[in-house]
Amino acid sequence: MTSVVQSAPGEIYDIELDENLKRANDLIADENRGLLRKHGVRAIDVMGSVGSGKTSLIEQLVPLLRGRYRIAAFKGDLTSEIDSERLASLGIQTVQINTGRECHLDANLVRKALGKIDLNTLDIILIENVGNLICPADFPLGSDKRVVVISVTEGPYMVVKHPFIFADADVAVINKIDLARPMGVDTSALSNDVRAVNSKTSVVLTNCRTGEGVDKVAAALGFKSGS
Amino acid sequence: MHEFSRTSQIVEAVLSEAQKQDAKEVTEVEVEIGDLTFLGLEQVEFAYKILTDKTIAKNSKLKIKEIHGRGKCESCSYDGPLSYLSDPQFHISFPTFNCPKCEKPLSITAGRECIIRRIRIRK
Repeated sequence: MTSVVQSAPGEIYDIELDENLKRANDLIADENRGLLRKHGVRAIDVMGSVGSGKTSLIEQLVPLLRGRYRIAAFKGDLTSEIDSERLASLGIQTVQINTGRECHLDANLVRKALGKIDLNTLDIILIENVGNLICPADFPLGSDKRVVVISVTEGPYMVVKHPFIFADADVAVINKIDLARPMGVDTSALSNDVRAVNSKTSVVLTNCRTGEGVDKVAAALGFKSGS
Repeated sequence: MHEFSRTSQIVEAVLSEAQKQDAKEVTEVEVEIGDLTFLGLEQVEFAYKILTDKTIAKNSKLKIKEIHGRGKCESCSYDGPLSYLSDPQFHISFPTFNCPKCEKPLSITAGRECIIRRIRIRK
């Protein structure tokens, strides 16, 4: 004989859900990574504070690398095409990603941008994230490496106040070193802070207006400069 | 930072599961949130209250379990909680992603979660 158990109205049930709300972005990031690998394209996620010199870094990297590599750039911003025009004037293919109100790029936006370009004609994509030292840390894009750009004009405590962004950073760029003295900021203390937070992160000091140190950024990312 | 949008994802998932189960009421929701995410727990609770108002989860209890950051050392055998550095001059305490034993980089194994573990419903 089979006994049947049924729910009665008003009974309480526990339902195991195990729903990971970050999985949606992480899955698309993995897809992006797979797609880029398949085409032999290396993508670099350039994160950093507002006005720290992310676009300037890309402007300096492109002439150094273009002899050996075919380069495109994605430029994330809330709105406008100001920076993507700056990058397009270098003669590289550029996709502007306007997030509207979101303060970071996500894997889905990057997937859409990847659909706009021919990956067979590229070796490197430089992805400039929205200026923000907080939120991009929570949203992997599927890039090969992550760079964080900070600058001395933001003061001496940028690293210890924003440690999470360095958790996945392969390279930390400390920019505007020509202004360190007038700002009274000790760049070696900032470098030590990065190492204290994550010893895996290589630290490079730059002046992205003159290009000083940018060759070391390229080397830290595993690229060869020149032709 | 993204408490409202994450919490609306939580509420949406809870209500859709509740509907699937023909629930009359959602009485409890259990979530796990890692302390390496940028989700402030008080703000999640606040957003949850607003977002569940006028739904069958209106009177539900949101139980948040905070998951502390952990890492596994790539060089030595360490597998445990992250350590924190502090600067008493500025009342700053910040995590380090270096191994507390050998100072080599850790790979993060916990602390980035945002998971709905379980919901309790009344049919």
